[in-house]
Parts: sequence; C-alpha cells; structure tokens
Amino acid sequence: MSNKVDVEGAFLFEQPFARVPYENYRKVFRTSQKHIEREYGAIQSAASDISSSLKAGGTQASELTTTIDGMIGRVDTLKRKLSDLHDCAGKPTQDVIRERLQHMAMVENLGSTADSDYNKWADQRLDRWLVDWCLRHGKEKTAKRIAREKEIEVLVDLDLFSDIQRIEKALAEYSCTEALAWCSENKASLRKVKNTLEFDLRLQEYIELCRVEKKSEAILYLQKHLIPWQETHLTQILQASGLLAFPSGTSCRPYMRLYDPLRWKALIKLFRRSIYMLNALPSEPLLNLALYAGLASLKLPACYEHSTKNVDCPVCDGDSGGSSSMRGMGLGKLAKEVPYTHHANSTIVCHITKKIMDADNMPMAFPNGYVYSREAMEEMAAKNNGVVICPRTGISCQFSELRKVFIS
Amino acid sequence: MDASLKELSKLEKLTASSSGRNKASSVSDSLDSLLVALESVRANIDDISEEAWESISQNIEAKKKEIDDRQKEIYSVTAKLGKAIDKKFPATLPSYPDLFESDASISALEGAIALHFLRTGQFEAAQAFFEESNVDIPSELRSQFIELHSILRALRGQDIGPALLWASRHREFLQSRGSPLEFYLHRSQYIRLLLSSHPANFHDAVAYVKAQMRPFFQDHQAEFQRLMACAVYLPLSRLQTSHYADLASPSLHFELEPLFAKEYCASLGMSRQVPLRVVGDIGGGGALAKIEKCRRVMRERKSEWSQRDELPIEINLAPENQYHSIFTCPVSKEQSTEHNPPMMMTCGHVVARDSLQKLAKSSGRVKCPYCPTESLSSSALQVYF
Repeated sequence: MSNKVDVEGAFLFEQPFARVPYENYRKVFRTSQKHIEREYGAIQSAASDISSSLKAGGTQASELTTTIDGMIGRVDTLKRKLSDLHDCAGKPTQDVIRERLQHMAMVENLGSTADSDYNKWADQRLDRWLVDWCLRHGKEKTAKRIAREKEIEVLVDLDLFSDIQRIEKALAEYSCTEALAWCSENKASLRKVKNTLEFDLRLQEYIELCRVEKKSEAILYLQKHLIPWQETHLTQILQASGLLAFPSGTSCRPYMRLYDPLRWKALIKLFRRSIYMLNALPSEPLLNLALYAGLASLKLPACYEHSTKNVDCPVCDGDSGGSSSMRGMGLGKLAKEVPYTHHANSTIVCHITKKIMDADNMPMAFPNGYVYSREAMEEMAAKNNGVVICPRTGISCQFSELRKVFIS
Repeated sequence: MDASLKELSKLEKLTASSSGRNKASSVSDSLDSLLVALESVRANIDDISEEAWESISQNIEAKKKEIDDRQKEIYSVTAKLGKAIDKKFPATLPSYPDLFESDASISALEGAIALHFLRTGQFEAAQAFFEESNVDIPSELRSQFIELHSILRALRGQDIGPALLWASRHREFLQSRGSPLEFYLHRSQYIRLLLSSHPANFHDAVAYVKAQMRPFFQDHQAEFQRLMACAVYLPLSRLQTSHYADLASPSLHFELEPLFAKEYCASLGMSRQVPLRVVGDIGGGGALAKIEKCRRVMRERKSEWSQRDELPIEINLAPENQYHSIFTCPVSKEQSTEHNPPMMMTCGHVVARDSLQKLAKSSGRVKCPYCPTESLSSSALQVYF
C-alpha cells in the first residue's frame, strides 16, 4: 500500500532496455576486430614479401616503393575505417548505453511514486512500451512519430526493428541472403545459445535448389553447408538428401512437407524469436506483459456486473462500460484473458466519494442495508437538515438512524 | 547502476579517438607512428638494407602487439560492462504465448491505444496510428479531445476563458458531481486580479467577485470569506507568510489543468486517470515481479496453482487504484458473492451469510465472533457496499 518505488519490479522490464545497445556495441567491437585483422594482415604479409625479396637480392627500388605505398595506403584505410566506425557506430552506441543507464539510475534514486520525476519517468516508460508495441505490430510510422514527438529516440530501438523488418521482408520474398548475413554477424552468440536458425535457413536454400531441380548444385550445397551440422542434425540431413529423388509435386508426406511454402512463414517466426532472444527482448510486447499483470491486479467480478461498475476502474471500461461511442475499445476486453485478483482482506469503497472506508471514515448503513462512508453522509446531512438520502434506492432517513458497520 | 556506469566510462576512455592523458596509446596512435616509420623508409628507399627492413618488420609486429593489447583491453572492459548490466538487470522477462494476440484482443488494444493518444493530446501519433491500423474512433469523440487540449493549452497560458465557457455550459453536470471546477476557475482569476498590480487593485477584484462569483456563494461560503479576508494581507510577500499562504501558491492555478481534464473526461463517461498509465504502472511497478516470483516458488515446490482463474497472491494496490468494494468474510476468508452476501448482525459486525448460518445455534441465536453480543440470525441485515 506504500507508494515507495518498487525498483526490482520496475527493473524486471528493463533488461532488454540495457541489453540491446550493449549487444550493438559488441557488434561494433567485432567489426573493428575484423577490420584490423584484414588490413593489418595484408600489411604484415607485404612486409614479409619485402623481407624475402631483399634477402633474394636484386630488388628494384621502384618495386619497393610501390609495395610500401600499398602498405601506407592500408594503414591509412585501416585508420579511416576504425575512426569512421567509432564516430558513426561506436561512440553513438556508447552514448545510448549511457543515456539508458542514467535513465534507470534515476529511478533507483527516487524515493516515492508521488515524486514528479517518477511521474515523468513513468510517462516515458509508457511511451517506450507503446513504441515497442507499434514496432512489433508493423506500425513503424506511429512508432517513429511517438519517438520524435516525445524525444525518446535514444530510449527506443527503432534501428533494431528496421533491421528486423528488412530481413523479414527478404524472407517473405523467399530470400535467405539477408537472414544468413545476420546469422554470420552473430555467429558466436547464436552458437552460445545453441540456436540453429542458420541450419534451417541453409536447409531452405537447399530445398529451393531441389525445387528447381538443380541437382548437382543441390548436392554441392548439401556438402558445403549442411554436412557441417551432421553432429546435431543428422536425421534432417539424411532426409534432405532423400529430397533429391522427389520432385516438388510429390505426394510423399515427409517430402511434401519440406516443399511446403509455409516453411518460409515458420522461418520468419524462427528468425524473430532468435533476434529477440539475442537482445534479451521478450517474445511478447512489453506493454502486453505490463497490462497482463496490471489487469490481473485489478480485475474483480464486480467489474463485470452492471450495478457495481466504476467508471474510473480501467477494467470496467470496455464492453458495456463507458458511453456507447466507446463500446468495446477499453481494456475490459483484454482483461478477459487474465485471472482475477486475489484478496485476503476486505476493502470497502464508498459508492459516493470513492474513498476507502476505515476506522476514521466508518461505513454507515441505511435501514435497508445500503452502505456509505460517514464523510459522505455527514456532508449530505449538513446540507439537508440532518436528512440523508440513499442515491441508489432513494430511501431517506435521519442521519441518526444510520447504523455503524464494523468490518474486521 | 554505479558499477555499470563506471565500466562504461572506462570503455569510453579506452576507445576515445585520441589517447589524451592515458598511459597506453590508442590504436590510432599506434597506426600514426607506424605511418611515420613507413613514410621515412619510403623517403630513403635507395639506401634500404636488409637489416634496416628487418627493424621495420619488427616495428610492424610490435605495433600489431600494441593494437592487439589495446583491443584485448577493450574486449575485457566490454565484458565487464556486460556483467555489471546483467547483475543490475538479472531477471529475464517471462513469456505468455499468444497473450492479447487474438484479432479481437488486438483490436481492443488498438482502440485503447488510439484513445490514449487522443486523451493525452498526441494528435500526430494518433493520426499515424489511424493510418496504420483498423481502429475507428467516432469523429465527434476526436473533436472533443481536440477541444479538451485546446482548453488545457489556454489554461497553461493563464487564459481561463475557454475553460469557464465549457464549465458554464456543463454547470448542471458539474453540480451533480459536486465539482468545484467553475468556482476554482473564478477563484484563480480573482487571485490573479488581486496580485496583478502593486499596490493591489482591490476594486477590480471585488467587482469581479460581484459580477461573476455570486452564484457560488451558497456552496463555498467559508472559502468566500477567506478570499475576501486574504486581501488584507497583501502584498504577496506578506500573504505568503500568512495563514492564507495556500491562496498565494502557484499550485492554485496549476491544479486547474488536471482538475479540468478529469471533469471533461467524466463528462464523456471516461475515467479520471489515464487507463493505460494506471494499468501499466501497476503491472510495471511490481505486480508482474510478484506474480512471477510466486509462479517460480510454486514450480519449485511442484505445487499447482489451484484456482487458475485467480491470482495465487495478493497484490497491494494504492488507495487511488481500489475501485470496488471487496468483502472477504473474516470467518471463512471467502470473498462474498451474490449467493453468499455480507450480513450485518445487530451489533454491526459483518460476516458472510454461509458463515452466519454455521455460527447459528439451533435456537437461531448467534454469538458474534468479534464481540460479546448475541443476536438472532434472522435479524441480520444484508448490506450493500
């Protein structure tokens, strides 16, 4: 009941918030490492070429100059590549990590949910969730609009999702190229979590070769890209090799399934699961998870009974609540998917003031059993020469006729 | 968070393009010095000897080692940063497959999101959202929200005119709710008039009261007296230390905005708080963490959640988020229902009807479990909260 900020509860939602830019940074680092290996390797081999030609003797100065010019060029290229990488990716990613960590540090240091800083933070959190929801549901324009209007671009993952969209679009057009490139970029991380998206993509490319009956190419592809997976995927590889004998119109069940174009849809799903997992993103939108727990904390049978609905309650609004123009647009419909809340103790809310009644503001019962708070009744009596009227049943009596109700 | 931020600072320093005051040289420094060496060899290309080249080769290898060391350092700081982040954010979010993903749920959620945009005045986002989804909000409702936000903007700019106009048009509605909105709008204007000039122009302020505020005298008598009396304590600096200080506070004006929004939404049959914020704050403010913790414990004990349609634990809610009366019988610990309603005994204590019947002796008399009173079970009164 206290309004202390539940940091642990809030942080549960924020692992992806910190992990996504961190994973991006690791990618930047890997790229820098690749640049160094490639360019510097060439420099080293050029140096050893010169050594051996000097040893052999009779080298032309002009030849040496050309080689050394090449080496200087390489060093320059490497320098430029690394500094571009740092300026365009490394530094911006570090800035995003810093922004986000500081954004979370602020919550850690807040005392109470009544703090206006908390209010601002919670507003932004909802905006972030809405962006996440929109991105996951293909509403990129809305997502970008919110991010720009609220100036939270560094706090949301627009880039990640535009990558996802690009790769999924390619998959939807029957091309694995983009997805395979993503796999190779993230090879080590995927291997670590034993993700086999790459195998499934390779298998699909192989199937496509079989579909168009390019048998010799298919065999080469099988040897090159599928056989390396034999330790874990032997049965699938064996089945795949059998595919060579079946044309795409086959009615033989297992092979028909391999030729099924629906496999592409499954690949899209699998890809999405993989990229979410790698970035610690949950498989459901963050908004959905928050709503699930929030609605379950509020949902009561009273929310679905006309006489006990409360227009302020988020669960009550929905199918039959609110004004007719908004029927079916509320959260009440979603609440049908969540369990009811659980209460071990009574809470009695005054029908008039909506305040919780307790020892300081006792519940008072009319002779017909309808209960209101003492505060509401006193106010009514003061305006009405001591007479109180039940707003639900219309009966009236003297304030002194009300009976105190004890809820233990 | 300090640990992660510390590692991040280290990383930033390590990867900064110039090494600055750092002891170790940055990758680009190493490359620069290599460049210098290569340039000088090229300038003296005619005198190159095998030995001289050998030292260049060694230099190349040495620089490679420098760069590798630097990269290793960066790698290890990055890894430490990752560990620090993992420590701060240890929990992985749970998965609820297909939650709110049916077509009906998505359209309900889209409706809620669209209303949220309108209600919070994000009209551009709303427009984009309408284009990207199938949600349909009656244009009448849309224009109402546009009106709401233009009135709120005016209030922010200290113009109570549009708000007053709306309030006077909806006077009956506001009175039925006992809302002080209209009076508060006038009050703000009155105080502004009082404080607008120095020395105070008491005459204008009183004229305003006479012209505008008379109808509210009946309901706000005490406040009227305070408004009149506070003028004695002018100027502002003195008012602020008097016991009329609350009238001098700027919150008197700022609070009009949320109050107006609340009344306006109520007139549309909408809740006083923004529903997505309320539900999101509860879910993201500990509820999901508690539910998950409970699930985990139950899994470990291999016990099943007995009532699947009810949460296994109680989630504490702030008073402003308790919208319904819940009666849990203190005897049976069961929540009351239509068939098992709360019953008040003559002493005023309330138990559920089933419990009352169990407590009753064959004579029909019941001894209250909470006080010494004995009464007839038939004289117990069903109560409605």
